[in-house]
Amino acid sequence: MNLLKSTLNNAVKNILRNKLINFLSLGIIAFTLLIFGIFNYLTYSLETFTDNFSKNIEAIFYFNDDVDQYEIDLLLEKLRSSLLVEDVVFNSKNQAEIIFSRQFPELKYILSEFKESPFPSSIEVKFKQEFNMGTQVISFIEDIEKLSIIESKQVNLDWAKKILAIKKFISLVGIFLSLILIFVSSFIIFNVIKINIFYRKEEINIFRLVGATDRYIKFPFIIEGALLGFFGSLMAGGLLFITLKSFPAYATFMYSIFKDLINFKSIPITIFSRLVLLGTGIGLLSSTISVRQFLKN
Amino acid sequence: MIEFYHVYKQYVKEQYALYDISLTIKKGEFVFLTGASGAGKTTLLKLIFKEELPNKGQILVDSKNITLIPAGELYRLRREIGIVFQDFKLLVNRTVYENIAIPLVVRGEKKSFIDKMVSKALHEVGLTHRKNYIPTHISGGEQQRVAIARAIVCNPKIIIADEPTGNLDTELSIEIFKIFEKININGITTIIATHDDHLMNMFPKRTLKLEKGILTSSGEKEVSF
Repeated sequence: MNLLKSTLNNAVKNILRNKLINFLSLGIIAFTLLIFGIFNYLTYSLETFTDNFSKNIEAIFYFNDDVDQYEIDLLLEKLRSSLLVEDVVFNSKNQAEIIFSRQFPELKYILSEFKESPFPSSIEVKFKQEFNMGTQVISFIEDIEKLSIIESKQVNLDWAKKILAIKKFISLVGIFLSLILIFVSSFIIFNVIKINIFYRKEEINIFRLVGATDRYIKFPFIIEGALLGFFGSLMAGGLLFITLKSFPAYATFMYSIFKDLINFKSIPITIFSRLVLLGTGIGLLSSTISVRQFLKN
Repeated sequence: MIEFYHVYKQYVKEQYALYDISLTIKKGEFVFLTGASGAGKTTLLKLIFKEELPNKGQILVDSKNITLIPAGELYRLRREIGIVFQDFKLLVNRTVYENIAIPLVVRGEKKSFIDKMVSKALHEVGLTHRKNYIPTHISGGEQQRVAIARAIVCNPKIIIADEPTGNLDTELSIEIFKIFEKININGITTIIATHDDHLMNMFPKRTLKLEKGILTSSGEKEVSF
């Protein structure tokens, strides 16, 4: 406990002793993590938006005219036993006619021209929310469509596939950009600690000569890196909040386009904690590597 | 007790900084280490606190072979030795008090104990009135006394001083040597590297003489004229 307290104390003192370089690097780390935060938040918002948009997906399958009830029952049974399906409703030709008459009473007279219902029988399939437009649902729909008793289907699979592709693209770009920004932040902290080690070389030498342990000398530098990452990410979180809050004021036109897509009112705690954890982790890791490389026994 | 057995040190091939050094310094002894510049005085001192490693031979401090001490355990040896340098090696961004307290702080001592020990060391070197000054605001002689206080603050068994008066005038040098003499009276083994014959004559002690890395004299209380 004492060691931790004195290490933390020394790390803070060291940061304050070399104010210019540490605060400058803190600013750069905050800015880098802000870009990471903005992108992460955009990815998160788009994912939430597409998830909500593709929830409660339904497909309607229309049967051929010559389909018999046995085949329909078989398909109904298959659909009801599927883990992907939430609910299945069968509409016979007559039921379809009743629904049409109810929805379009002014066109009801047309139906009197026909001896029997001109509408095909159909089944409406509602999929479970957790599978919203996943590849499983898409291939399930495609499998049913291939059945000989099905004449057509009503579900925009192209649209669903596009959403999936956009989600994938966003995730990939997110990962790629995150890796670059993580590398940039690590590189900055690695070099700041390296500079601080060289800056305090004489001090380190004196500490060694008077009997300081390796732990006593190295830990403050490692903690220093973690603190830079921690405070840098806190600053980035704050800046992200300010950027989002002030976005409607400085980009009115853009705001009107994106207001339904992105929540400009608050940052979800998951994004904020992800940012802080990542910043601290980067700091800890890069300062450890730097200390191992430049502070040999 | 410090013992050297056939110690060799080379920085470059075919050129010895120290050649076949064997010597013994008894506990509580006051020893001068003399020789021209480049004779190997600093190297010999560095070997005692394992700042340098010998190429050959054995060095024993308190009967422990220090060449075998692993890097992670070196701090234990260094805590037994107080070191004073010609260029003082004080931290200019800390006060006199903070500089002297460093050896105690790195040991994790309590504030009250640090206060007590630093005050005692400041009193011994006569610098109590300068404790809140920063090193650049005091004289060279006072800076060296701060360095001595830092070396003695933990009651070490050995004091090593490498040309401690090299940057000081005669009057201040005598003052510094008197402090070392006082420290030695308390039973601390004191080894001082110097090439100031005048001072060695004023404080007649055993003198080890190095010439081009070879120990040419290890007589007790040798005085040169």
